[in-house]
Amino acid sequence: MTIKEKGYSHWEGELAEKKLPWWPITRFGIRSTFRKKFFKFFFFGALLPAVVFLVGIYISERLEDFRFMIRNQTNFLTVDPGYFKSYFTGDFLLFMMVAILVFCGSGLISDDLKHNSLQLYFSRPLKKGQYFLGKASVIFFFLFLVTLVPGLVFFIMKLIFAGNFKFFASYPWLPLSIIGYSVLVTLFFALYTLFLSSLSKNRRYVSILIFAVYIFSDIIFGIFYGIFRSPYFALISLKVNLQQIGAFIFNQKLPYSIPWIYSFLIIFSISLLAAVYLKNKVKEVTIIK
Amino acid sequence: MNPVIEVKNLSKWYGNVLGLNDVTLQIEPGITGLLGPNGAGKSTFLKLITGQIIPKIGTVSIKGKKVRNNYPLFREIGYCPEQDSFYEELTGKEFLLRLLSLFPYSPPEAEAKAEQALEIVELTKEKDRVIKAYSRGMRQRIKFAQAIAHDPEILVLDEPLSGLDPLGRRKIIRLIKEYQKKGKTIIVSSHILPEIEAMTKTIILIHQGKVFAQGDIHYIRDLIDTHPHIVSVKCDQPRLLAEKFIHEDFVLNVKFSPAEDSLLVETDNRDKFFSLLPSLFIENKIEVQEITSPDDNLQAVFDYLVGK
Amino acid sequence: MSIEVNDLHFSYGKVKALSGVGLDLEEQAIGLLGPNGAGKSTLLRILLGFLSPDEGEGKVLGYDIKEQQSLIRRHVGYMPEDDCFIPGMDAVTFTSYFGELSGMPRQEAMKRAHEVLYYVGLEEGRYRLLETYSVGMKQRLKLAQTLVHDPKLLFLDEPTSSLDPQGRKEILELIKDISSKKDIQVLISSHILPDIEAVCSHVVILNKGQIAAQGEISKLKELKYRLYEMKVKGEAQSFLEKLKKMGCRIEATEDMILKVYMRPNKNPQEIFRLASEERIQIRHFVKSQSTLEDLFAKAVGVD
Repeated sequence: MTIKEKGYSHWEGELAEKKLPWWPITRFGIRSTFRKKFFKFFFFGALLPAVVFLVGIYISERLEDFRFMIRNQTNFLTVDPGYFKSYFTGDFLLFMMVAILVFCGSGLISDDLKHNSLQLYFSRPLKKGQYFLGKASVIFFFLFLVTLVPGLVFFIMKLIFAGNFKFFASYPWLPLSIIGYSVLVTLFFALYTLFLSSLSKNRRYVSILIFAVYIFSDIIFGIFYGIFRSPYFALISLKVNLQQIGAFIFNQKLPYSIPWIYSFLIIFSISLLAAVYLKNKVKEVTIIK
Repeated sequence: MNPVIEVKNLSKWYGNVLGLNDVTLQIEPGITGLLGPNGAGKSTFLKLITGQIIPKIGTVSIKGKKVRNNYPLFREIGYCPEQDSFYEELTGKEFLLRLLSLFPYSPPEAEAKAEQALEIVELTKEKDRVIKAYSRGMRQRIKFAQAIAHDPEILVLDEPLSGLDPLGRRKIIRLIKEYQKKGKTIIVSSHILPEIEAMTKTIILIHQGKVFAQGDIHYIRDLIDTHPHIVSVKCDQPRLLAEKFIHEDFVLNVKFSPAEDSLLVETDNRDKFFSLLPSLFIENKIEVQEITSPDDNLQAVFDYLVGK
Repeated sequence: MSIEVNDLHFSYGKVKALSGVGLDLEEQAIGLLGPNGAGKSTLLRILLGFLSPDEGEGKVLGYDIKEQQSLIRRHVGYMPEDDCFIPGMDAVTFTSYFGELSGMPRQEAMKRAHEVLYYVGLEEGRYRLLETYSVGMKQRLKLAQTLVHDPKLLFLDEPTSSLDPQGRKEILELIKDISSKKDIQVLISSHILPDIEAVCSHVVILNKGQIAAQGEISKLKELKYRLYEMKVKGEAQSFLEKLKKMGCRIEATEDMILKVYMRPNKNPQEIFRLASEERIQIRHFVKSQSTLEDLFAKAVGVD
């Protein structure tokens, strides 16, 4: 045999464009999120409503078995689009989503800015869009796990528990609503988080911002609404805007009597501004100083 | 010559982190190069002799006077820190003026001194720009300017050349040498050994918080007995030359270069070796191109004393 | 020919950064020098495919700098000047991560990461979190991620910045090893001339967006006249007298070096004949060259 000499040896292989060039970024993002203290606690907390609602669906089909528990209330637990809407737009779920964002999203760009890693990313054949996609997919992953996935599971479970397609026949558009709303909320939160994450080099500030902007927009709305009694102040609150859109998508009565399209426009323009800002903030060429 | 700076049994630690460990030395006028690995205690040493921090044990005196809290003495010290420490919103000139206003100068005097310092570091054109907008080289230069603006007797420079381009380095090295000619005392630290060599032959080597060597580079090299001297001779017939001295007992080792155009000789007695060499060339008609001592320089001294 | 560019022009708005740069580099180790603002960064940005030149064309590793920018980046390695890493990773994850982003299959990237980490001497710290790395280790790590996808051309930006003498020497030895033995080409941009001299055989000096000088360092440093530098030991008085009689001009510098100008018709071996007659030790003898620093200063038009 030949001896192997100490030192550098070449790699025998071909470098090629991959189907998902950004996937390693996402994989690392997901993995490092799970490694964080308390994350699992919050994550399972965020899955709690899903469990409760799933049990609810089961009970609704077996209502007869549980009749002894309830008296007089005949209209208890009907699973309809309203049921889905109350899952998706529940205060608790939205709050837990923001908590998840703090864990998985606060460091996504701010860490790269702090430790100059953009230089390493962009000296590879990675485009800016792919970089952002890789980062955003971390958020997609976690938020889909608490929105899209439970939503579709509910729907399927409902069919399974019922043993027939009556539910599907009555609301054929419901799966589309589930997908549409999940995608919209997730996209918005992803852009919101990435934008805030690119504002500071310190992930702690970003964490505080992610929380504070969400909470304070709601509190300010509450104060103004209390004083002026005008539903239009609801447009200030991120939470209410999302709830308005959710109510529309699931074909339910809007919580505030203002057109849903206003809320949509606000959410849409925040997302758009965030995207434009990100595009200008991160420049490939600046990696060489 | 009288030592300008005298340091006795100086020790400093931060919590349980060692900064400096029992250092005693004297520094004379002229340029002294301060070197050592990262974390060896160089910056601690420079801060101690400029009275910025208090030693745990030991004393520092400059010209026989204690440094600690001796404000009149501080006027004679110029200090250029390693890190950037600026009021970023000020312009270069304002920055110098504010620092000069700490000295008892009249406003026109301070103005003149600021202008002069700016001119020395060639920042006159950029003097009205805010420091925030300065490039790395310009920041380094304004830092140097504030150290020399009050024309101090003692100049303490912590990595003054980092971040400068070759022209900037050349310029600052020349400035430092000019200061030396005025009889001032300059202590300069750097990681780039050839630059230290370009400025001075006198060094202090700090390692593990202690002084490992102080004095002239070649003198220090001669003191290192564990490593025999290496002489490289580039000539047309290296093997013939080797044959002529291989039997001498002061020759410890002979190596040929891969290109067969030179040989490396290890010797423990350079005097005997070099006395023999010229006659060997002449007797054997060997044509010499070069005689050098590859390990008689600062890098070798550093490696032998600090290296693993 | 791995870097071949022709008549590159580039300006940022009204500021002209490059005006007519042409290069044809095939040497193993090339130093890219220039004062601040000479256009070094702009040239690197174009060579790495981040900017497209206003005028001129060229190829890097055979890929067009205007059309195949991302292919260039796939096949070269770039080591940035700044301290950079990703928190929460260990060295193996970090190195294989960037291998994957360059287009290596995951398993291969993992194997290769270990290999290059061994090569740069980080085998013991491989599984440690990068946050705990020292300056010197981070520098090696940066080199490892540059090498992981086995590029044929490396761009190194100030590879020794912020290193202490020991670390500097070790990194330079690695770079020298890569460029001399491993058919990998290295382009080093640096302000530290002794480093360039230690590693590179060839330099390109930029000034004001143009090439001020380029070529083999040893050739550029050669002097036209015959000047020797010596250090002697012993009673040199009569030795020097005799040298002067031969027609040599002698100058002593402050650090005890004698500079001897020789007439072209005299043989330098005469010096040794005299030395052996006079029992003088010649401890140092070289044909004088200009330093890279002088060369640089001359090229950019400063005294």
